[in-house]
Amino acid sequence: MAGDNGNEELRIGVYVCHCGSNIAGVIDPKVVAEYASTLPGVVHATDTLYACADSGQSLIKEDIKKYNLNRVVVAACSVKMHEPTFRAVVAEAGLNPFLMEMANIREQCTWAHGHDPEGALEKAKDLTAAAVAKASFLRPLDMIKVPITKRAMVIGGGVAGINAALDLGDQGIETILVEKQPTIGGVMAQLNKTFPTMDCSI
Amino acid sequence: MVDAARHPKVDVRTYTEVERVEGFVGNFKVQLREKSRYVIADRCNGCGECAKVCPIEVPNYFDMNLAPRKAIDVPMSQSVPLVYSIDMDACIHCYKCVDACGKLEAIDFSMEDKLVWEDVGSIVVATGYSHFDPSVMPEYGYGRYPNVVTAIEMERLNNSAGPTAGNLIRPSDGANPKRLAIINCVGSRDKRFNPWCSNFCCMYAIKNAILLKQAYPDMDITVYYIDIRTPSKGYEEFYDRARKMDIHFTQGRPSLITEDPETRNLFVHSEDVALGRVTEREYDMVMLNQAAIPQPDADEMSSVLNISQSPGGWFMEYHPKLRPIDTPTDGIFLAGACQGIKDIPASVAQGSAAAARAGRVLHAKEWEIEPVVAVVWEDRCISAKGKKCGLCAKACPYGAIEYEVGKAAHVVTAKCHGCGGCVAECPHNAITQLHFTDAQILAQIHALLAEKPEEKILAFRCNWCSYPGADLAGTSHFEYSANERGLRVMCAARMDADFIYEAFRLGAGAVLYSGCHPQDCHYITGQRVGARRAERLLKAFEKMGMTPGRFRVEWISAAEGDKYARVINEMQATLDSIPKEKLLEEIERLRPQMEKRARRMRETPQVEKALEYSRELETAMTGKEV
Ligand SMILES: Cc1cc2nc3c(=O)[nH]c(=O)nc-3n(C[C@H](O)[C@H](O)[C@H](O)COP(=O)(O)OP(=O)(O)OC[C@H]3O[C@@H](n4cnc5c(N)ncnc54)[C@H](O)[C@@H]3O)c2cc1C
Ligand code: SF4
Ligand code: SF4
Ligand code: SF4
Repeated sequence: MAGDNGNEELRIGVYVCHCGSNIAGVIDPKVVAEYASTLPGVVHATDTLYACADSGQSLIKEDIKKYNLNRVVVAACSVKMHEPTFRAVVAEAGLNPFLMEMANIREQCTWAHGHDPEGALEKAKDLTAAAVAKASFLRPLDMIKVPITKRAMVIGGGVAGINAALDLGDQGIETILVEKQPTIGGVMAQLNKTFPTMDCSI
Repeated sequence: MVDAARHPKVDVRTYTEVERVEGFVGNFKVQLREKSRYVIADRCNGCGECAKVCPIEVPNYFDMNLAPRKAIDVPMSQSVPLVYSIDMDACIHCYKCVDACGKLEAIDFSMEDKLVWEDVGSIVVATGYSHFDPSVMPEYGYGRYPNVVTAIEMERLNNSAGPTAGNLIRPSDGANPKRLAIINCVGSRDKRFNPWCSNFCCMYAIKNAILLKQAYPDMDITVYYIDIRTPSKGYEEFYDRARKMDIHFTQGRPSLITEDPETRNLFVHSEDVALGRVTEREYDMVMLNQAAIPQPDADEMSSVLNISQSPGGWFMEYHPKLRPIDTPTDGIFLAGACQGIKDIPASVAQGSAAAARAGRVLHAKEWEIEPVVAVVWEDRCISAKGKKCGLCAKACPYGAIEYEVGKAAHVVTAKCHGCGGCVAECPHNAITQLHFTDAQILAQIHALLAEKPEEKILAFRCNWCSYPGADLAGTSHFEYSANERGLRVMCAARMDADFIYEAFRLGAGAVLYSGCHPQDCHYITGQRVGARRAERLLKAFEKMGMTPGRFRVEWISAAEGDKYARVINEMQATLDSIPKEKLLEEIERLRPQMEKRARRMRETPQVEKALEYSRELETAMTGKEV
């Protein structure tokens, strides 16, 4: 069977992270990996202590070569944490970064269901299966490259904004500092001497 | 301040507001409103002759309205830029200033607000904070008792550049106070108003006590506090210095201030923890360390800038530990107290950090953005066949779809932000979204509902708010039912009605449809496109006789982890309240209708493959052929 990946045979690798005890303290990642190995398209599934650590990353990279993987699923933490990490990992091994999918079995599973390890295990399996399912239909994609206007705007002319604008200016970047009041300075300009140095505020 | 005005690369635009922000990282377009000053900046040399002759006085915001300024004036003598402006609400049009200005001809009564567009690659938001108004706490009498002042007023009163030239006087009679009470945590750490600690008031309480003690060694100064918080470098030593200066620190939160109407002296009623009893002490003046609160226009700014807010209204960082300067919107960064209350050293540090983060973008030759854009299958679009449609273009918050009868709709990739609204709205399934195709999402739905679907709560979450909201529930260890099965799309706009029908067709116990609050939507109006669809679905399911609560629509922000957990638990309770046989019967009863409605989806390219795949998946999981 093939997903929508042209006529290429699916060869999915699944990595189930322990995240130390963050995941493994509630469920057994090995069980999830064993289960994943039965899913259609999966040719290799294993658990790993820290998928995001150097050792985890090299494991994935080596396996991509060893098992000739064309999709990777990482069952670990939130995409907000490590999607960029694992995209980079598969890219380094020569796979298109969009052929990697994550299952969030930490924030949205073990951390939220500590009271229900059995329920958490079932959920982790399903989330992993869903990621495998999506992975089966992933397509290689290219990032869209956009040009950069080398100009900055800082909104708010208090001490934070003034300092940001000066630093940007010193980097040679033309910067517009927008302040809604008739003068910049913010609250600091209103203050008497300021702690911790007790120097004048302006 | 003057450094900024002098810097050749920094263009200071005061009296200017941000009206609109469009575009994306590297390519923002910002509309500014340059408010009319009625004084031509290039001609005004800051001599102030105009203010000398102006007969009208108005309260000066800069002096916390403790002192007046003229209708034509500057907020303070060191204003940057030193350009005068007229308060038109107060001006009586006597034109004395015009004469005083004379040959400079800097005053222009016909000046109007100017709207200008600026192109920038990156934006740093540093809009700061505002001050809590203690007059809502009747127990302290602020606003009724003239000698009760706020800390920020005290900063002006005890300031050599302030209205009294630094001579501290009581507002009631102009006398120098001999006994001063400083009260901490006014409106802070108080569940009635603001639960947070305002971070710097302990330190400025100590600062002001030290400064006043140095200026008036005989003054009797007492600081009332709950805890004194001095965690930064050198701060505890600073506190030590104050304690050695015969400044009193009394642990206790005053419950009441009363006033002697004759002398206008004040009586502070407070517990004194050290003494273990309630005390009542007399003072000449009381300073209230008012809480720091978000700017009054923070909500508005967050929607103009398309960034989110944390509980309380502070602007929200991408990640509190790992990306504290970034916002979830690429290219927009935060600095200073607008992100969370911080003192000057921390605000300055964050300003530099934001400049460095923005520099990373601005020094790049080009920037990469995710290709999660919409694409039209031209042969499926009915517009190409000469029929009127354009629903996709109507849904698009960015006007990214070119639509003309007779031609297939066309997505301008550079303008598409990838909400997926058009994809879900197209009645002919003629559009797809890369990386979030119908087939991909359908395959997930099938996998999540493969076993015992009637026990499952299938949760659609948007990428920016409710997915991170669910993350926050986990990070905070708010426990919720493990029957929840979540999946992520970019925006509520992408939550196709077909997905919901398909989920119920498969026998899902409950389905959650959740995204950002309307004002937090990452795609301007994407949430509204999703919300309108969700309303229609709610009505349709009600008509079908579905048990209320099995389909639920909730807007959950990235900060509302508690709400995410609560909603899931409530949905679990709904499921628990329906007897199993009744639930299964209802699922069977509704299945044909769901089937009918979801059928259209089957024509979508790749979907058949996804369904075939899911049958294989089910066989693999259950061991039986389906
Ligand atoms: C009584 C008191 C005493 C203090 N004493 C000290 C001290 O001694 N030492 C110390 O370290 N800290 C002290 N602080 C804290 C200090 O005020 C803050 O740390 C500092 O002002 C934060 O700087 P900021 O630039 O983030 O914000 P702000 O100072 O609030 O500046 C924000 C600026 O943005 C502008 N702005 C807001 N909205 C917009 C918009 N929509 N468009 C354009 N411009 C906008 C505002 O007009 C303002 O100029 C004190 C605070 C108080 C209340
Ligand atoms: S900094 Fe001190 S005074 Fe201010 S809220 Fe926190 S504890 Fe209270
Ligand atoms: S509606 Fe959304 S996905 Fe469709 S073109 Fe507009 S921005 Fe892109
Ligand atoms: S909604 Fe669909 S059919 Fe209608 S114009 Fe847009 S792409 Fe074509």
